[in-house]
Amino acid sequence: MYLATREMMRAKVRYGLLMAAIGLLVFLILFQQTLQSGLLDAFVGAVRSQSAPVLVFSVDGRRNFQGSVVTPPLEASIRRVDGVGRAGQIGVRNLPARAGGKLTQVALIGYEVEGLGSPGRLTAGRLPAATDEVVASDANRGDGFDIGQKVRIEPGGRELEVVGLAPDAQLLVTPTLYGSYDTLTEAVRAFNPSATDRPLSSAIGVGPAAGFAPSELASRINAANADADALTATDAAAATPGVFQVRQSFQIILLLYALVVPFVTGLFFLIITFQKANALTLLRAVGAPRCRLATALLVQVALVMLGGIALGTLLYAPLASQRLGGLVFHFQAGAVLFWSVLLLSLGLLSALLSVRRVLAIDPVGATTGAGVAR
Amino acid sequence: MNHGRRDTPHTPDDQGTAADSHTALRLEAVRKVYRLGDDDVVALHHADLRVGADEIVALVGPSGSGKTTLCSIAGAILSPTAGRVVVGEQDITEFGESELSRVRRESVGFVFQAVNLVPFLTARENLLVIDELGSRNRSAARARADQLLDELGLADRASNLPSQLSGGQRQRVAIGRALMNEPSLVLFDEPTSALDTQLGEKVMELIRHEMKARGTAAVIVTHDERMTHYADRVVHITDGVLAA
Repeated sequence: MYLATREMMRAKVRYGLLMAAIGLLVFLILFQQTLQSGLLDAFVGAVRSQSAPVLVFSVDGRRNFQGSVVTPPLEASIRRVDGVGRAGQIGVRNLPARAGGKLTQVALIGYEVEGLGSPGRLTAGRLPAATDEVVASDANRGDGFDIGQKVRIEPGGRELEVVGLAPDAQLLVTPTLYGSYDTLTEAVRAFNPSATDRPLSSAIGVGPAAGFAPSELASRINAANADADALTATDAAAATPGVFQVRQSFQIILLLYALVVPFVTGLFFLIITFQKANALTLLRAVGAPRCRLATALLVQVALVMLGGIALGTLLYAPLASQRLGGLVFHFQAGAVLFWSVLLLSLGLLSALLSVRRVLAIDPVGATTGAGVAR
Repeated sequence: MNHGRRDTPHTPDDQGTAADSHTALRLEAVRKVYRLGDDDVVALHHADLRVGADEIVALVGPSGSGKTTLCSIAGAILSPTAGRVVVGEQDITEFGESELSRVRRESVGFVFQAVNLVPFLTARENLLVIDELGSRNRSAARARADQLLDELGLADRASNLPSQLSGGQRQRVAIGRALMNEPSLVLFDEPTSALDTQLGEKVMELIRHEMKARGTAAVIVTHDERMTHYADRVVHITDGVLAA
């Protein structure tokens, strides 16, 4: 510790700059990670956070509510599959609506059975009890979708009152409302008076019977009906078109950042090791064990990495609770912990080349002034 | 000026009066061979040398004569190809890497020709680092470092980095560092080569004073015959062969 900290104290600018560079990279990594989560929540949060364990789409619906139409015969065949406990229609329609004085597009999700398509969790308020009541995504509470506010479908003039808020429950970055299937039916009729029939459902929410796991039930439904595409809620969110590509793009960006951090750290300490070769040789000549010098180097790497991670987290924390358009960011403690451990490990690994050079120092160099022997 | 040097001739293995009772260094038939490509280069030929407990020996020879090799073997930096090396009461001939490091840390002091101080440590810290590497008796080490710096006339320079010290001051800090572990033997490799004659003589006087005051043995490697009168005994080396 003594050698490591003394040297760092005497070269504050040098080590401070490295720490700042790592801090900036850590900030970018954490912010990108949060941006990815915010984007995915805004795209498929409603799929992920709704309450049906299994969602069944029509096979040509490409696994999204907007493209899928479940016909009555398909619905009947799904309900007959062994292992289906409960089943209920889920309908989704995009409708123009006025909220907070502004005209906007909303996604209205209607569920036939509570617990099969209704919000899985509320941050405030309650579930709807009447056909003119809805739950809104809390990401849009500031846009006229807060509890007590009214959303009017236009044209048609059907008014819906927000009675609850659901966390991270948006669909396709659109303000999202949850109501009963009758609420959906009435809203669609108000918008299009000629649509007198009950709207066809977009998916069937299914709950497994006792003794069946959701994934097992999904497999059974798919095996029983070639026109059905059953997925667990988590799989349905992941399989929504575009989600994989978004996730993959961010993973590539994050991987590049994760490689830059150890590369910068490793190169810095390799240069430092060359620069102080004479001092290290002298220390070896006066009796410093090899491992002692290597440990001092690793302590420096750890201190710089931890300082950089702390700095990056401090920069990230205030931004992580902001909103950007329809995206809501959250401070992700799990991501901070994951990246801290990963980057610290990679930083220490990156110093192995420097450690190897330190271990190769021959004390006889002190008698010749040769420094590091090789 | 005569500082007590014995005028009677000695052979290299002359054990001297002090060495008979207590020996700081004993080399017996030490041979060192370097491998250079396909050739063997003999740096030391069966060298025999004894240094008494408080004796100062000047090792004189031209460049490439094997002075530094002998010094390095005596200081546990190099291992001999053949022969026996005893420092104080420890036979270090067969010692491995970690044991040799311990000997350097605990039993031997060094003042090198080329690099002597750690540039990012102050004068005081350059002394304290010896304790950090070894037994870690911090309060005693601090007291000893302050005492040594005071004795060497560097009390007011204790917080200075090497770059803020003159050549003579740096050399004095190096001497303090070499004495920090209370060694039985201190090895000086060309301690005056980077200094002018006047400063070189001052440093040699200081070395002699410090060694005699502590009863510590010293081997001073030099090619400057003018500095030899500060030693008790002069040993010449030519082409790896010790001679009186």
